[in-house]
Amino acid sequence: MLNYNSPIMETKEYPDIKISEVEPILKINLRGKNRDFVTKVGKELSIIPPVDPNTSSSNEKLNLLWLSPDEWFLYSNNKIELKDSNFLEDSLFNEISKKKLGSVTNVSDHWVKINLSGTKIFDLLSAGCPFNFSNFKNSKGAVTQTLVNHIDVIIHNKNTNELNLFVRRSFSMHLWSWLNDSARFI
Amino acid sequence: MFLINCPYCGERDQSEFSAGGEAHIVRPKQPTELSDDEWAEFLFMRKNIKGIQFERWNHAHGCRKWFNVIRDTSNDKIHAVYKMGEEPPIK
Repeated sequence: MLNYNSPIMETKEYPDIKISEVEPILKINLRGKNRDFVTKVGKELSIIPPVDPNTSSSNEKLNLLWLSPDEWFLYSNNKIELKDSNFLEDSLFNEISKKKLGSVTNVSDHWVKINLSGTKIFDLLSAGCPFNFSNFKNSKGAVTQTLVNHIDVIIHNKNTNELNLFVRRSFSMHLWSWLNDSARFI
Repeated sequence: MFLINCPYCGERDQSEFSAGGEAHIVRPKQPTELSDDEWAEFLFMRKNIKGIQFERWNHAHGCRKWFNVIRDTSNDKIHAVYKMGEEPPIK
């Protein structure tokens, strides 16, 4: 993990919408296909990688999101110390990558986590997103990868009226500006 | 604009996908034995028919998986979607 410099470091509140950047948190991309990979990830994290599309598995510390049939995205619930993230990354790397079961990539610096909460967050996203949130917003733990204002995002429905949105660092300021601009008109 | 039923993620808007051209073009087993015209035919020549066409699509802004689509190019009606390596459900 590189020296982490948060690109946004702000929290904004609007009527029925709160937007905040939550960093630094651990983010790891996991890729693998065979059963041994799934078993090993489950053993290391105490979470079985979800096999159903657009779903996630969680425990009190970590969330594991389905991205594609052979790809998962791991992130921590809370802000995490650098040494803790290295420990988890190293243990996954040693058990999975080194044993050629799959790949483990620390993407903590690649993605920026933005937390949205409030009763109108889906109205806000729908202003610039082709995804149909009607079923998604009632499914706790649902995951989708889609576009918001033409920017690639991963959206995790964490709780009722609360979601975590991940955006690539280079697009994060642009998306942040768009979210804040659009929130004024919702 | 139309909806595509990704075989992995489900129904999504077309803007999340990118088109990858005609499907089921088989690479020649011995390219060195082909004439320049035959090689050019394989590399460049694609059907662009008005009607039902077999195409490759990629869910570029979703699961990033490739799959096949049978689409009517005249009205964008999708007749079938199937994974790479599977037989087309419609001949």
